[in-house]
Order: sequence, then structure tokens, then C-alpha cells
Amino acid sequence: MSLNESSLPLPGRDLRLPFGLAVVVLACCAPLLLGNYALHAVIISLIFLLPAHGLNLLVGYTGLLSLAQAAFFGVGAYVSALMAVHWGTPFYVNLFGAGLVAGALALPLGIPALRLRSTSFVMCTLGFVIIGQAVAKNWISLTRGDMGLSAIPKPYFALGPASFTVSGTVGFYYLVLAIAALATFAVWLIVTSPAGRNMVAIRENETLAESVGVPTWRYKLIVFMISAAFAGLGGSVYAHYLTVVSPLTFQMSNSTLMLIIVLGGGPGTISGVVFGSLLFVGLSEALRIAPELRMVAYGFCLLALVFWFPKGFAPLITRFWTMLRGRS
Amino acid sequence: MTGLPILEITGLSKSYGAIRAVDGVDLQVHRGEICGLIGPNGSGKSTFFDCTSGLARPNAGSVRLDGQDITGWSLNRIAREGRMLRSFQKTVTFGALDIEENLVIAGQMFTFPSVASTFGLGARSRARVDGLRQRARELIRLSGLWDVKTQPAGNLSGGQQKLIQFASMLMPEPKLILLDEPMAGINPKLIERVVEAIRYANEQLGVSFLVIEHNIDVITSICQRVAVLDQGRKLAEGTPAEIMRNQAVREAYLGG
Amino acid sequence: MLFQISEQVVNGIVTGAVYALVAVGMTMIFGVLRAINFAHGEYYMVGTFGAWVAIEYFDLPYPVAIVAGVIATAFVALVIGQFVMRRMVGAPAEAGVLATLGIALILQNTVILLFGGGYKFFEGGYIEPVTILGVSLAEQRLLIIAVAVLVFFGLELLVTYSRMGKAMRAVSQNVECCAVVGIDVRKVVVRTFVLGAALAGLSGVLTAPVNVSVYGGMGELITFKTLPIIIMGGLGNVRGTFFAAMILGIAESLVATYVGLQFRDTVGFATLMLVLMWRPHGLFSAQARY
Repeated sequence: MSLNESSLPLPGRDLRLPFGLAVVVLACCAPLLLGNYALHAVIISLIFLLPAHGLNLLVGYTGLLSLAQAAFFGVGAYVSALMAVHWGTPFYVNLFGAGLVAGALALPLGIPALRLRSTSFVMCTLGFVIIGQAVAKNWISLTRGDMGLSAIPKPYFALGPASFTVSGTVGFYYLVLAIAALATFAVWLIVTSPAGRNMVAIRENETLAESVGVPTWRYKLIVFMISAAFAGLGGSVYAHYLTVVSPLTFQMSNSTLMLIIVLGGGPGTISGVVFGSLLFVGLSEALRIAPELRMVAYGFCLLALVFWFPKGFAPLITRFWTMLRGRS
Repeated sequence: MTGLPILEITGLSKSYGAIRAVDGVDLQVHRGEICGLIGPNGSGKSTFFDCTSGLARPNAGSVRLDGQDITGWSLNRIAREGRMLRSFQKTVTFGALDIEENLVIAGQMFTFPSVASTFGLGARSRARVDGLRQRARELIRLSGLWDVKTQPAGNLSGGQQKLIQFASMLMPEPKLILLDEPMAGINPKLIERVVEAIRYANEQLGVSFLVIEHNIDVITSICQRVAVLDQGRKLAEGTPAEIMRNQAVREAYLGG
Repeated sequence: MLFQISEQVVNGIVTGAVYALVAVGMTMIFGVLRAINFAHGEYYMVGTFGAWVAIEYFDLPYPVAIVAGVIATAFVALVIGQFVMRRMVGAPAEAGVLATLGIALILQNTVILLFGGGYKFFEGGYIEPVTILGVSLAEQRLLIIAVAVLVFFGLELLVTYSRMGKAMRAVSQNVECCAVVGIDVRKVVVRTFVLGAALAGLSGVLTAPVNVSVYGGMGELITFKTLPIIIMGGLGNVRGTFFAAMILGIAESLVATYVGLQFRDTVGFATLMLVLMWRPHGLFSAQARY
């Protein structure tokens, strides 16, 4: 079922092309249809889509439950903010730097963590978040501690002599949309490659995967790094959107939220995670629910996912694609 | 047929705490032969297999495959670089995936030269996967599983899953296959099909086998040579007929 | 110098006793359920708030508030035990992680919604200082140590001799066999869970006068402190948990004094990660239990 995505480019008389076009048109016209606040909600959910995509590779495809995503998200946010504030580098450099640093940091952290099994691994990844927050709070000369970094410039681009700054919600929306679309495409490339098949094999049965020659350890490490890089990219966009970062970027509830997006939307499906981020982040943001009430609702979502909907919306998503394809 | 042994194990030992599960066992599998490995429960057969296939690390001794020392290699490296594959008694398929996916996965690491290259999506990469699919379909047909090929493997019967696993191991053109109780828990009707599959792989594809099996009829009908383990040591070795006559073997099984 | 160290050690033992009371419930729950309870610190918070409500809204004296806090926690735990924890018998480890994370979110934010997110002043407790062997400390701290020792002594007796204790041990050995010999695994799980949560609540009520301020988010920090303790203590191991809690309490106290207060809260997780990498099965456990 999780490999359903790989059958996407099948030719045939189906409704997928019109549906895809409709999504593209809708996404492009969103600023005309939505008010400023609703657009803000979509921006936030597209930002969270990036770490969620990374987490989906880890949880949904490779089968490793991790809470570390908020740590790499925070690292990305701080790296990007520091580069922008201290060096004044253009946005795309910061974005790249954030993804690179987060991904590279995942290597020394992943090597010991991935040796642990199930609950111990979860706990170790939670430790990354806690220690990340402690570093952000206490390395005051770099991070300014609890005050956080403020006045992070809005994304600006410089190519030779020409430069321009993306300001305003609509401009930022198109920027985030482009990044999210590229990221989604990148995830699709990964999961439809032979490596994606090996990741699913590891999720299904690690020892059996080993026995047919899959170097599971290397794959797990690589996927952990890729997922961290995605989180770093998300953190970078987040920092440039809010223009402030604080140690609160490293908080467990961020990790929990990313888990809810993936597990609720449909682990092991790409469209499910996109749907999940719009539903769980965008909708709650748009409805302006009080943050505490939202957390209570997330809590009930988690319970529902564990006991009643272990695959989230994945079965619905699969049925939807089958329907679009026009055959079973 | 004989000559340089394809698998040469010398002085293999493995202990868990104070228990010496395998204690200095020597064994050779000759090129092109089907060698049986029998012994009472707890005699160390499974530990011996785990140490040979790389799932566990032996405490002492060496394993040579086709002249190359592979002692201490990991399970995946032995499979990938040594083309020696092993089966498992219980976990046999990727349950959520259909048969074709199962077989393609089993073949992937042998057509892609590196982990990095598996992330590629270019024409070459696609051609490799197409090649794997074709081979998978051939093997599915040969195994008589064509009618159920779109079903998730986990939905099929134990015997059918064993056939899938066997077909998976043939994907990479292996040199040697270690079978861990291939007949355990399968429908008697399917036993004949598994035996046929082993014979086919041995005679047509030139694969050598080392087989752990409790079903003595199967062992005597397919094996050229049989080794007997008891309490971690090799008790006897010879043709099936010799083993059947061996007094020590009878005692280990009956008198213990 | 030596005096200061001994004072820090005593303070550390008090903190350790607090942690021990919370952690022991968590480790017992792991024993019967094979799941880490990521919501356990929230019961500490619920206990504290129960007592705070009793004092603030009903003008009850502190000793009565202790009882009220513990009963409130036990009640909340009973409801959660019936609706959530008993469903987790036999579920995979990941299900336990996610369900208890969900409960932590619900409990923490419900309390914030009901009482507001700000810090509240906790009135009550025995804060008169007494001097023992040259070290001066509040009566309340002595009370915490005494209660912790009593509780652990009682738990040893309970686990060793009582019917429920025997059932608990049986369940932690082998769930399938229990079903065969007629032990109601779900009932044992719920009871263990309520007992463990009530102990966490007790710990919260006893600590409130020392901490002075209470707030809705306080449980999360306690969860983060007890997770390392139960791993280091060897999951499911009651005695190991006690010693691990003491070690962490003393280590935190020393780090706060000699390294810096801001590093205190990371000692636990930093140690945990080192321990996991060096001895993946904990310090006090002979075998891997997870």
C-alpha cells in the first residue's frame, strides 16, 4: 500500500491529471481566495510540512519512531537566523546552510542513537530535543539565551547586482509553496527509487532485509540524516517567516505535532502527509483555537490514532487515489 | 563435481554465557552438492547457522566461502558480496508487500553497486529494476504462484510464503543457500513442491545447499552428504545411508 | 567546603526521594505493561494541583490537602487506566509511546485551561527549619525523605508478600502464562497504574511546599527527570530505581552548585544518553527487559 505512490505515473484514462491541475491552480490562486489570516495558516502548515516529510521517511517508510525532529528544526532555525543576522547572507544560502548543518549533525547523533531499539531510541531522540533546548538557553554568547534572536531579515535574494526581498504574506506564501513543492517532489524521488523500496523492507522486517543483502544500518543512518535535513530546512523557513527564534523552537510539543501530522495524515504516503499538515496545523491555526485547547485536541487525536485509526487517513487516501485512477 | 569446497568451516565455536552452543565444529560443503545438517533439538544447529551466515559472531573458528575468509562479516555483507543466502524458520516474507515487490527487494542489492546508487532514478536505474521485475515474474511462474502474485505475501499460507522466500533467494544467482528447516510447518502437499524447487536450483542453476531439516525422508532423498550435530559437536558425517546405520547417531536421537 | 558539600548531598537526597517516588510508579507500570509512561510526570502535577485546590478553594489544612491531592490523582488515574492503559496490554511499544504522549498533552493542557497557565503560590506545609548533624533543613524535606523510605519499604513488602504484588510480578514475567493460570492481566495493569500514579501525586503534594510555586507545565519537567532514572535503574527494577533516583538527585544538586544552576535540568538526560550508549540495558539490570 505504501508503494502506491510508485504507481503514480502510470498512463491511462484517469482523473489524476485534472485533479493535479486543479490542485496546482488552487495553490496558485490561494492568495485570491483566502484572507490574510487563513493564508498565514496555510504558510505555517507548509512550513511544518517540511519536517513532517522528513519524519515520514523515517517513521512511515523506514519504521523508526523518532521525537528528534524538533531538535533539527530548532538547529535549522538557529543556523539560518545566525547566518542572516551575522553575515547577512541571502535566503537561499541560509536555507541550504540550515539543511546541511542539521543533516550533518544527525550523523554523530544518529550513530549511537540508531544502535538502540524501540523505546530506548525514542527516549534518546527526546534527549536531543531537551539537550538542544538547554544549549539554546545557555550558549548565551551565540544564541542570546532565553531572549532568543530577533530582527531576522525577511528572505532576500541576491543574484549579482540584482536583489529583492520577499516581504508580505502573499510573497512569502509563494516562496513557501515553491519550497514545499520541491521538497514533496524530492521525497517522491526518494521513495520511488530502489532505496525507497529498501526502506520499506527495513520497516517490514529488518532481519529479513539484512538477509537479502540490504545494509540496513547504512540506510537507517542515511534516512535519519535526510529527515534531519528536511527538519533543518523547515526551521530555516520558520525563522525567516517569524523573524524571531527562541529556545522554545526546541520543544517536545513540536515533535509531537510533526508525529501527529505523519501518523494522522497517513504514514508511508506522501499525499497523506500533505493532507495531514493542512488538516492538523492549518485548520487549527485558521480556526484560532486557543493553544491549550489545540494541545488537548492533539492529545485526543493521538489516542484515536493509536486505538482506532492506526494508519491515520492512509486507507482513505489510498481509496481516493484508486478512485481518481478510475479502476481498482 | 568436487574439488575446492565452496564453504569451509573450521573450529567454529559460540557460547552464550556458560553454555557452549557450538563447540569446535568443522564442516565443508562441496561445490554443487546438497549437504544436510541434522541433530536433536538444542544440538546447536541454529547457532551454527547464525554464525555461518553472519547473524551472530562466532567466538572462535573461521568461515571461508569460495576461498575467501568471511569470518565476522555481517549478514548483509555475506549475502551481498558472498552471494551466500540464508532462510529463516519463522519470518519468511515482507508481509505487507506483494510477491513481486518481495522478489525485487531480494534482488536489488545485487544489481546496484552501492547504497548511493540505489537513490538514483535515471534510465539505468529504471532498466535495472525492470530487469529485476522480469526475473521476478519468471521465478513467480516457476514457483506456481502466478495466480496469487498481487496478494500481500502475509495473506498467503505458510507453505506459499516459504516458496516466496525460496524464490527470493534465487533472485541474485546465489552460490550457496543455507536453508533453516524449509519443511517446518508446511502442508505435506507443498513439501514435494519445495523439494522440486531445491532440486531445480541445484541442478539447473548450480546452487549448492546446506540444509537443516527434521524430516529425515526429505534429507535422505535430496542430500548427497549429511552431518550430525549433538550438544554443539559434530557427531558424524557421511552419506545418508551411512548416517542411518551409525550407532552413535541412533543413540543421540533415541537414547540421548 | 566539606560542610557545603554535605549540605548539597542532603539536598540532593531530598530531590532524589522526590524523583524516586515518581519514578517507582513509572518503573512498575513498565514492569506490567512493557510501555514507558510519558505522561507520568503529569500525575505529579495533578496531585499538586489537587492539594492546591483543596487549600485555595476549600481552606483545608495541609495534611487533609495531601489526602485530597492523592485521591484526586488516583481518581484521574483510574479513569485513564480504565479507558486507555488497559487497552495497551499486548500493544506494540510505539503504541504505548504515542498514547501516553497524548495523555500528557490532555492532562497538562486541561489543567492550564481550568486554572490558567501562570505560576501559583502554594500555601502550606512544614517549612520550619531544623538542624540535624550540623545541616539545617526544612521539616518538609525530612518528611519527604521519611515518606520515601516508608513507601519503598512498603512496596518491597507489597511486591514480595501480597496477592497483588505476586500478580504484578507474574504479569511482568509472562503475560500469556498469567492468562492461562487465571490472573486478570488488565486488572493488574490498572491497579498497578493507579498505585504508581497515586505515588507520583503524593510526591507532588509533598514537594509543593518546597517548590512554593506550582504551574500546569511542571509535570513535563518531572517526566524528563524520571525517564533517565527508570532507564538507569533497569526498567521494572524497583530497588535500582531508588538508587538511580538518589544518584541523579545528588548529581543535580552538585552540578547546580559547582557547575551552574542552568545545567541542572540536563544532567539527567545527558547521563541517560551516556548510559544508553555505554550500557544499553541500564546500570542495575542483569538482563535487557525492553
